[in-house]
Amino acid sequence: MTEIKQGDIVLQARGITKRYPGLVANDHIDFEIRAGEIHAILGENGAGKTTLMSILFGLTHPDEGEIYVFGKKVNFRSPLDAIDLGIGMVHQARKLISAHTVLENILLGHPHAGAILDMKKTAEEVKQLCDAYGYKIDLNAKVWHLSEGEKQMVEILKALYRGAKILIMDEPTSALAPPETEKLLETIQLMTKNELAIVPFITHKLPIVLSVSQRVTVLRRGKIVARLNTAEATEQSLAMEMIGREVLFNLKRPDVKIGKPILQVENISVHDDKDYWAARNISFEVREGEIFGIAGVSGNGQQPLAEALAGLRKASAGRVLFENKDITRLSSLERWKKGIGYIPSEQRAVGSIGDFSLVENLLMSYYYDDQFVKWGLIDAKKIRQLTQELIEEYNVATPNPDVKARNLSGGNLQKMILARVFSRKPRLIIANLPTQGLDVGAMEFVQNKLLEEKKAGAGILLISEDLDEIMALSDRIAPMYEGEFMDILPGGSAQRETVGALMAGHKQKAVQA
Amino acid sequence: MWEFWIRSLNASTIFAIAGLGEVVGQRAGVMNVGVEGAMLFGATIGFIVAKTTGSYLLGFLAGIAIGALIGLLHAFFTITLHGDQVVNGMGIWILGFGLTTYIGSPYAGPLGMGRIPTIGGLSPFFFAALVLTFVIWFVLFKTHWGLKIRSVGENPTVAEVSGINVVRTRYWSVIFSGAMMGLAGAVYALDYNPVWSYNLLMGWGFIALALVFFSMWNPYILLSGAVLFGALWQVSLNPESFLPNIFSRYIWRTFPFVITIIILVIMSTHWFSSRWGAAKPEALGLPYEKD
Repeated sequence: MTEIKQGDIVLQARGITKRYPGLVANDHIDFEIRAGEIHAILGENGAGKTTLMSILFGLTHPDEGEIYVFGKKVNFRSPLDAIDLGIGMVHQARKLISAHTVLENILLGHPHAGAILDMKKTAEEVKQLCDAYGYKIDLNAKVWHLSEGEKQMVEILKALYRGAKILIMDEPTSALAPPETEKLLETIQLMTKNELAIVPFITHKLPIVLSVSQRVTVLRRGKIVARLNTAEATEQSLAMEMIGREVLFNLKRPDVKIGKPILQVENISVHDDKDYWAARNISFEVREGEIFGIAGVSGNGQQPLAEALAGLRKASAGRVLFENKDITRLSSLERWKKGIGYIPSEQRAVGSIGDFSLVENLLMSYYYDDQFVKWGLIDAKKIRQLTQELIEEYNVATPNPDVKARNLSGGNLQKMILARVFSRKPRLIIANLPTQGLDVGAMEFVQNKLLEEKKAGAGILLISEDLDEIMALSDRIAPMYEGEFMDILPGGSAQRETVGALMAGHKQKAVQA
Repeated sequence: MWEFWIRSLNASTIFAIAGLGEVVGQRAGVMNVGVEGAMLFGATIGFIVAKTTGSYLLGFLAGIAIGALIGLLHAFFTITLHGDQVVNGMGIWILGFGLTTYIGSPYAGPLGMGRIPTIGGLSPFFFAALVLTFVIWFVLFKTHWGLKIRSVGENPTVAEVSGINVVRTRYWSVIFSGAMMGLAGAVYALDYNPVWSYNLLMGWGFIALALVFFSMWNPYILLSGAVLFGALWQVSLNPESFLPNIFSRYIWRTFPFVITIIILVIMSTHWFSSRWGAAKPEALGLPYEKD
């Protein structure tokens, strides 16, 4: 390998295209990465970032297109090929073995590791890397003892120790505390001085991108929509490029009289699975005939909040009132019976049981109903008939109601879940990412159904990452960022740029704009 | 008393060899609950080969070979075909139990060869077990091979992106694991008690299996556990001469399992895991499928 100088092209992608059924994840992507630059790739969830990243790291094969590394055309069969060519990857969900020590993780699979591990020599070499970038880390500590920032250090060290010249980082700042973020930015800037190319993939925290990167490429719906020098870009312009300007929806929002409050949430706080604060001190209400939209990038606390309201997670503090009655301590079943319907974001893991038929899946919302289950015996005929009716009403494409849920496509399964929830005539619907991963047709169907429910007077809490959807459907919009509502805006008059900036965490600037 | 300890250590030799094999397999993420079955194969085939050829060496080699073959079978079903490890392990036990009874019956009776010389009453295999314990500990914790084995047992996905061939690593670990079980069985039938009879192992394979959980997957703890379980077994043979009128022998025989359950309960507490982490290989029992 010849000596690399600052500014040399180290990686080039030409016409990268990857299609999945019903979706073009990457549509003729072209870009190049130069030595010594930080080149951010920006895009919302579903913009095709993950696919592109997998292709660059050899996890996925592109259908079309060519990749050149250091001027040579390459064809990755596995990540190992990419690693050998000097591409390192820092994953968002850390790819480390938590029971092993830092050093063992760094050494695992290293081509120069001898049969008997020379821990002393490795430790010295890794120490040198640490010193070069000002890392302080106990190399003999077990990984499960480390903080998120330290784990990221280990991943970076592992890639560098393997000789990476191009470092791909997936949401590098997402799990870091502010001081750790600063440290990271400092380090990657140092690395660029050593001819390394850094390619962070980012959805949110735009100011961070602006502060360190030299160039930005923006992806939207699988295409590159902008290539900018960071000096020319502003947060606002990037947010606009990311979200897109075109109005994709042509929904008729019915005129519905907004009635009295159905759901009142008072100062609720929720912890996530790791016992961290996920949502803090949130208060709002949802009224009859109203769609209350929570806009935010996934991982900002929407999921735990929705689960707390549905009774699937304990609220750490605060109160929830449903039709003026305190339901904070009620179980999820008691909440369903009172008239709360929950559409979970994970269709297959939470919304349905894959090995059960559609009839059995429907039964999960009816087993407590005397009309369908008497003396513990299921009225099979009746529930089957209801399934049949709902399949027709909701246009679920299935040969018969005995098909297993796992065999339904995402769109059809979501229709079935909607049918199950809505047929119970809920007064309040909590819809968590109801159109995520659906094709345009199914998406429109789901949105129209939500509007129908609104017309029928139900209150709807809509949680979505899709700004277009939130803007088109909501009567009021709450942008959520790091577990808090940034504001609550009226849906009709809110500017999409304002909402976009708020959900990216820019309180001040958004208010001025 | 001396005699008691000699017998205990000789018994613990067999627990330790089989247990060490199982540790290697489980460290790689593959559990084989059919230790008893693999040992029965090793014992019976080893016994028959030694008896017909008159050669101890051939007998032990045959025991090791049949054990490795059982390991290969287990690897094929659980790694290649993604079968359930526990179910397949039970299958190996049942197969071993039935088939070895059928094959071994015509050879029932004493081996009829000169006994393997002892060192002060101790079987040479006891010293072999000591060496094996050290070697396996060294390989697991000091070599790249061992790091790979432990990595595919903890998190095969991470191992894969680090460039490790998960399938190959697991295969060799499970085959080695089976070979050790075969050897343990052969040691029982050729050295410890050179008589073939129906159900000759009396559940020793299950004690070895329990020992692995007891050991928290550490070869040294496993060795000491083997000595403890060996002593408990000797007590159970003749409880009246040690602690008269306390427990029947059958109660004594449950002790290795009772102790193991207690250890497992302690291991699962928050108190334990917040200090020492999860001792259990994280991916143990889970088939690995590339996405």
